[in-house]
Amino acid sequence: MAGDHVLVGRHGMWRIDSQHDGSAIAISWYLIAVPALFLLVFFVVPNALLLSASVFKSEHQVLTSELTAENFALVLSKPHYLRAIVRTFIVGACVGLLVALVSLPISYFLVRTTSRFKGLLIAISLAPLLASVVVRTYGWYVILDRFGFVNDVLVDFEMIENRIAFIPSTGGIILGLAHALLPYGILTNIAALSSINPNLETASKSLGANRIQTFVHVLLPLVMPGLIASFLLAFSISISAYATPAILGGYASQTIATLIYTFIMQVLDWSLGAALGTVLIGSTLIILLLSFRFGGRKVQL
Amino acid sequence: MSHMVPKPWTWLKITVVLTYLFMLIPILVTVAVSFNAGTRSVFPPEGWSLRWWREALSEEWRSAILFSLKLSVTSAVLSTALALPLAFGLVRHEFPGRKALILLVLGPLLLPTLATGIGLLQVFHLTGLFASMGFAALLIGHIVICVPFSVRTISVSLGGLPPNLEAAAASLGATRWRILIDTILPLIRNGLVAGALFSFIHSFTDVNLSLFLAGPATSPITVKILGFLEFGFAPTLAALSAISLIIPLIGVAIVQRTTRLGDFVYAER
Repeated sequence: MAGDHVLVGRHGMWRIDSQHDGSAIAISWYLIAVPALFLLVFFVVPNALLLSASVFKSEHQVLTSELTAENFALVLSKPHYLRAIVRTFIVGACVGLLVALVSLPISYFLVRTTSRFKGLLIAISLAPLLASVVVRTYGWYVILDRFGFVNDVLVDFEMIENRIAFIPSTGGIILGLAHALLPYGILTNIAALSSINPNLETASKSLGANRIQTFVHVLLPLVMPGLIASFLLAFSISISAYATPAILGGYASQTIATLIYTFIMQVLDWSLGAALGTVLIGSTLIILLLSFRFGGRKVQL
Repeated sequence: MSHMVPKPWTWLKITVVLTYLFMLIPILVTVAVSFNAGTRSVFPPEGWSLRWWREALSEEWRSAILFSLKLSVTSAVLSTALALPLAFGLVRHEFPGRKALILLVLGPLLLPTLATGIGLLQVFHLTGLFASMGFAALLIGHIVICVPFSVRTISVSLGGLPPNLEAAAASLGATRWRILIDTILPLIRNGLVAGALFSFIHSFTDVNLSLFLAGPATSPITVKILGFLEFGFAPTLAALSAISLIIPLIGVAIVQRTTRLGDFVYAER
């Protein structure tokens, strides 16, 4: 990171002088050009093609050159599709809220604990990132299914007479996604909380504030960017998640992602798939802008 | 911390324990079910056996696991190789379009993977190559989504080096390549290793991209399990899920012996 920054690296602080740019190993520019070109061809072009495909008619995986707004009109006119779109954003909002709120206490604990197992505790909280969505979803199925663990317990204790189908349902999708994305919330909130000086809370208390006042007036404003960032991050990942809605949501609770899969891989209607893909990309971009504005996120490595 | 009054701290601890349980229980349940003796996927298991693991390690599934391993290892190595010059240019140089290049590099992390998957499928179809691509189609996609992870960890390592390191080496008479190979690479080794590991994990656990680029003969293990889940939650799939969890864990365990991964985790977001 050149520019007049002071970088804190593991070897101490280094002042980086932006004038001292001609480092001895002036990197050959074609070395950067190769990977940049790779990303251009296999990342930018595909996404651009997807966006443009949404405004063209297609027949059986072949895009015609006929320009049309029909794809969006169709997607927005059918109640089934519209419901899926609305459901997707409701799911995103619920998951975002759950992730932000549930990850806050554990992040606060992990930042402030003096336990000698701190490192291990952080590692365990992040370990679920290693489990693919398949592993988590399988577990939720066994727990929530009509003949699953929760139903067994409820029946054994005679709390219900008829078994309840917790899944497939929209609630199942929200639970599964919130579970999957919690580590992201923890990462984000730990980063936000680490920069808060614990003396602020002590100071607040010594000035006569009680715990609730301290939390509301001192801590909350300081963690707000972290909460917003984790909300938006969880929101943006949820709206394009496929596997969790496919398994825990089922046909009755389709989302944009499962509809896209149906259009692209089964109905072979690429235009409709592209139109919904465009909705996803557009929403993600809006969320990104919001998180740059309110979540303290920066364009940096 | 001495200023903590015990009682609220106790409540916090209870909340934390519950959060850990919430996070770990579904995963542990999956692992437990894989050792079930019965034919139904239930928890707690009706007796213990290894029959589902034997089935999960049968020829058919073994080749799917190996396919996934091959895909993820290759993606990790190649994406790290592509990321090295990118990280170098971005960390050590100021140039017009640097912000744009950062956006390009982080793009696959910021935009939905699903969209990249569909877009790539369309591009490959349009060029008429998709049918003959197989492994290559998946590999290209996986490299794309892995590059941001490697660039980030390598950047963290590079950021920790003194900026005049190359100049010092050059003044001692080292050539450009010698500087890179003898001086820089050993110092950023941890960043390279962490980047490759994160890429491997990201690739190995991916569903959203592979979903669109996989073929009948070229299916990563996650997509294959997902496909079978439609027909029911057979205990074999629990064993396979468990295997798909163990492999990244082994990766972390190996790398953690030589590299402090914690140094790079916070650079992830």
